[in-house]
Amino acid sequence: MSATSHAHDEAGQAPLVGSLGVDSRKLGLWAFIGSETLFFTALITTHLIFYARTKADLAAKGMLEHMDPKLYLGIDLTTILAAILLASSLTMVLALAATKSKEWPKFRFWLLATIVLGSAFVLGQVYEFTHLYHEGLKLAPQYVYEGETVKSLFGVTFFVMTGFHGLHVTLGVVWLIAVYFKVRRFAASPENPMDVELVGLYWHFVDLVWVAIFTLVYLI
Amino acid sequence: MAEHATHDQHAEAHESHSTRFYWMIGAILAVITAVEVAIFLVKDTIGHELFLAILFILSIAKGAGVVMYFMHLRGDARIFQLVFIVPFLLAVTLCLGFLTIFSHHVGIAG
Repeated sequence: MSATSHAHDEAGQAPLVGSLGVDSRKLGLWAFIGSETLFFTALITTHLIFYARTKADLAAKGMLEHMDPKLYLGIDLTTILAAILLASSLTMVLALAATKSKEWPKFRFWLLATIVLGSAFVLGQVYEFTHLYHEGLKLAPQYVYEGETVKSLFGVTFFVMTGFHGLHVTLGVVWLIAVYFKVRRFAASPENPMDVELVGLYWHFVDLVWVAIFTLVYLI
Repeated sequence: MAEHATHDQHAEAHESHSTRFYWMIGAILAVITAVEVAIFLVKDTIGHELFLAILFILSIAKGAGVVMYFMHLRGDARIFQLVFIVPFLLAVTLCLGFLTIFSHHVGIAG
């Protein structure tokens, strides 16, 4: 079939081109990203629904600030985290560009920068979670806050949603580290550009989710 | 079939941008983020509806920038666009639908 016959690269190895004429791994990752879009939409939607439904109740008790992280932390930290993740998307795409032009020192620099920025984001989120927990926001539907029983799913939906995002970032950092060492060890491998492209797609998606969370949860 | 495969493979070898282009996109996205935060800080003076409208437009622009240029979906094979855009549209529809249903304490979701 022509899809495979002309798909051989310079090293004579065929990429995993399927009957649709595209790389199967890349198609699989895009399908995964599509399913992840639905997954995070479910989490964000659930959070927004419960936020709206409990907001009036807590406002009546004078406890509205209790369920609003931006009132605890301001949006300073979240803005910094958004900037960090956005910068990491830029360094990721620069790493991919360096891979395609076989500029390995540049590739190593930009991928390491992405790893560092991703790790900084995770640490920032750990700090935020710790701070919120000590301020009284809990991963429970009912708890006691300053002597008063609070019934709110805000803490649950907030921690689950942002926690899953943080988990994705953490797994992305692990994947980036694996790709870094793989490319360093097998610099001549023809698979390298696709390996970097795949982790890049995942990383940009993680950034995309934060774009949505930053707007819908922290700014609105 | 062969023609179809050739077309998609050609599309998959999407346009390669220069690093300068990526820096420019990164700078634009950073400016959008800064404007979002600035709008947030002055939201009491511009009204809630205008605040939401501006924020949504900016966020959509930022997300589109990431998807089209950093993820290279613009100009990539149609099948990639299909497997991402269809679930995305479904997700947006579901989100808006559920938010509408649950927007009041009395109603379907009572």
